[in-house]
Amino acid sequence: MAAPKGGNFGKVLEIDLGKLTYKTRPVSDEILQQYIGGRGLGAYYAVTEYKAGKNPYDEDAFVFLGPGPLAGTMCVSPRTSIVNKNPYTGNLNHAECGAHLASEIKWAGWDGIYIKGRARKPTWFSVVDDKVEFKDASKMWGKTTEVAHEMMVREMKDPLIRTIVIGPAGENGVLYSCLIVERFRAAARSNAGSVFGDKKLKGFAVRGTKYAVPVVDNAKFLAAANVAKEANINNPGAGRRKVWGTAASMETNNFLTGSLIVKNNQTTWWPDVVRLGAEEAERKFWKRHVSCTNCQAHCLKLGVLREGKYTGLVAESPEYESGGLLGTNLGMKKFDEMTALIEACDAYGLDNISTGGVLGFVTEAVEKGALKPSDLDGLKPTWGDGDTYMKLIDKIAYKQGKAGKLLSQGVARISKQIGKGTDAYANTVKGRELAAHDPRGDKPRAYSYCIGPNGADHHEGTNTTSLCQTAMMDSLCLCSFTSMFVWGAQTDKVVTDMINPLCGWNMKTEDFWTAAKRIMTVERVFNVREGVSSKDDRLPKRMYAEKLPEGPKKNSIFTEEDQKKMEATAYGFFGWDAKGIPTEAALKSYGLDYLIADVNAARKKYNL
Amino acid sequence: MEEKKLPEVLEKETTRRDFLRGTAAAAGSAIAITAIGGIAPKKAEAQYSVQTAPGTKPFAQKFLYAGRHNCTGCRSCELACSLFHTGNVRPALSRIWVNKYKDIVDVPVICWQCDDAPCIAACPTTPKAIQRDAKTNGIILNEKICLGAKCMKCAEACPAQYIRGNPDTGQPLICDLCGGDPQCVKACHAQSGNPQGPCLMSRPVGLGLNLSFRNVTPDEAGKDLATQLFYPNVEGKRVVAAKTRKGR
Repeated sequence: MAAPKGGNFGKVLEIDLGKLTYKTRPVSDEILQQYIGGRGLGAYYAVTEYKAGKNPYDEDAFVFLGPGPLAGTMCVSPRTSIVNKNPYTGNLNHAECGAHLASEIKWAGWDGIYIKGRARKPTWFSVVDDKVEFKDASKMWGKTTEVAHEMMVREMKDPLIRTIVIGPAGENGVLYSCLIVERFRAAARSNAGSVFGDKKLKGFAVRGTKYAVPVVDNAKFLAAANVAKEANINNPGAGRRKVWGTAASMETNNFLTGSLIVKNNQTTWWPDVVRLGAEEAERKFWKRHVSCTNCQAHCLKLGVLREGKYTGLVAESPEYESGGLLGTNLGMKKFDEMTALIEACDAYGLDNISTGGVLGFVTEAVEKGALKPSDLDGLKPTWGDGDTYMKLIDKIAYKQGKAGKLLSQGVARISKQIGKGTDAYANTVKGRELAAHDPRGDKPRAYSYCIGPNGADHHEGTNTTSLCQTAMMDSLCLCSFTSMFVWGAQTDKVVTDMINPLCGWNMKTEDFWTAAKRIMTVERVFNVREGVSSKDDRLPKRMYAEKLPEGPKKNSIFTEEDQKKMEATAYGFFGWDAKGIPTEAALKSYGLDYLIADVNAARKKYNL
Repeated sequence: MEEKKLPEVLEKETTRRDFLRGTAAAAGSAIAITAIGGIAPKKAEAQYSVQTAPGTKPFAQKFLYAGRHNCTGCRSCELACSLFHTGNVRPALSRIWVNKYKDIVDVPVICWQCDDAPCIAACPTTPKAIQRDAKTNGIILNEKICLGAKCMKCAEACPAQYIRGNPDTGQPLICDLCGGDPQCVKACHAQSGNPQGPCLMSRPVGLGLNLSFRNVTPDEAGKDLATQLFYPNVEGKRVVAAKTRKGR
């Protein structure tokens, strides 16, 4: 077991909340070469430490936060990857978020933070270089995310400390709660919020001052990192994100690609998007651009509302997904009300996408008579009714009343509970609400929703190549906006040029693809053990049954042929069989022999 | 010898400062930022291109300038600075740093190359442990003489509260302008691309406004920015919470 030469320290910080102790968990260079870090390393931990059917709320269940080998160096835009078994979907999921957290973890001398155990009372902890301190969070418990964040900053007496916290939703065990990083950023799609809440962990704060990431060949690495950065500076697509952020997609996906989510996927056409999208925000709302560490894209836009009911609200809004799900998906027409909904979700620590999905579904259910206002504490959500949605979000976060208890379960469970044909418009994949891209208008997005381990995640790649690239970017923990989107076909070369002099590896471009397939397959094996197969790699019923009624992709539908083609292409590429189970030959070729027995057991158990 | 020259220089600067006081700067630095916001980047851009024209010998960049409203908080300046000075990327050793104010604005905290250099005046050692390099205008630290963490009189004297201690040695981290070619400026120009342009700029001659800029602390500068950008919510509070969660 060799220690890493560069890029990593070979140390993961292991936190045991039950005993309130911490220790160093060594990581060998061999493991890092195979699983890279971040998402890949987390998947490796999960698949080797968990048995099938593990309860994600067990005391020894973990949440792993990995910054990847490139964070804290001159490389562009590092992110933090969060991996855990998701209580919401029952699968192994990962979430990524930006800001400066990843860099600070590296400068504190760690390759990741592995959290297990359950504290007896509300706790938070701080990591300043080698020093870890456990602190009482009873005063923070129940506070919204930005207040908890402020309290941590104040207690540490350090404005430069970086935090990650949960809100009331996570504390109350709302299944689709999330982690909020440095107030405005969210790591939502692994739904680690309720796991943190179960562990009685409010969050933690990190500051690194003592360490620099070791680099094996500095001159070569800096030259390669510069190439990576230059590509960004001159890229026209990146230029668009600099000015508009992701919000610009709201308009383009409505008027050009016909893939904007509208009214729970009833349509993709919502001309009122001009009152919600990037141009409106630029005219009336945005004040400044904010970027993550060493990033040129600065896609986060902060603004302040200067009119309407929520005057004075400082918010990060809209992003494409949040503006889609809590804007057009709910038939909103008012920018300020949409922004307030987004901010409320962030304050409570709720996944914007799932919350928007639930509200959209419930509105349609009320419209079609499957739910009555009496089931929702007398509230009657209708399209565009921002006030009622705000009240419902409040109820969800605190699981308050009949409405709160029902809605906090998520679309799949609500639909199962109430029945009445609601499954026809319960738009979920693997138990999770669709993101804001309608796969009837944007068919390649089905790869992301179906083949990626998360299920209904917009950010998994839109073909086999980009599925692989995304797996690698999430494991290297780079932002796709400044990496694969601008490096394109050169991605494997740019990455290996950087990673080899950094870590002292001899990774060839072929190895890039093998590592990506390995990571995808490890996650797949984990989920296969939980019973996932091709039957789960399907879009919601509506996508196969209802043609788009209007918009640029009018009459478009996701056909069974599309589905078959996608399955054949993706399974074939990754070496999975027709049912989506990794074959023995494929497992061997990725060096995953130790998982063959698991896969065979799953085949037997689920009759695959 | 250096000290004797200082009063003269200071005298000149004071006059200019008084002039400014009588006009716009009296109303506060927030207005000063707005006033030069529109002009300064263009001027700096012109200067930048002259300096990099082919066949032209670059001028030594003697003054730093930060258009704070353009900062996106990417910290590439910190990375470039620590890489240049230590060979490693470790922002704790950077001579420039980005302060966060209420999480809504980022304030680049720089050395403004004050003509009167209160830090040098405050240095108690003889000869002075920090001295200005006459050629580059940067402040050079003599690590052998500096008293380190137990002194830090320079940090106390700095009106911009810019000087931080080196976490390893305890000695102050002060901008030496990288020998006339500030790396942070290059990094910032490479990063920039938002509609306003880069935040950090350098010039061979002073802007003449540094004195009104330097006299605000990082937090005061943050407050200025927050007021300028996010009025009426200058504290960045989450109003939605108060409106929807009565009684919680």
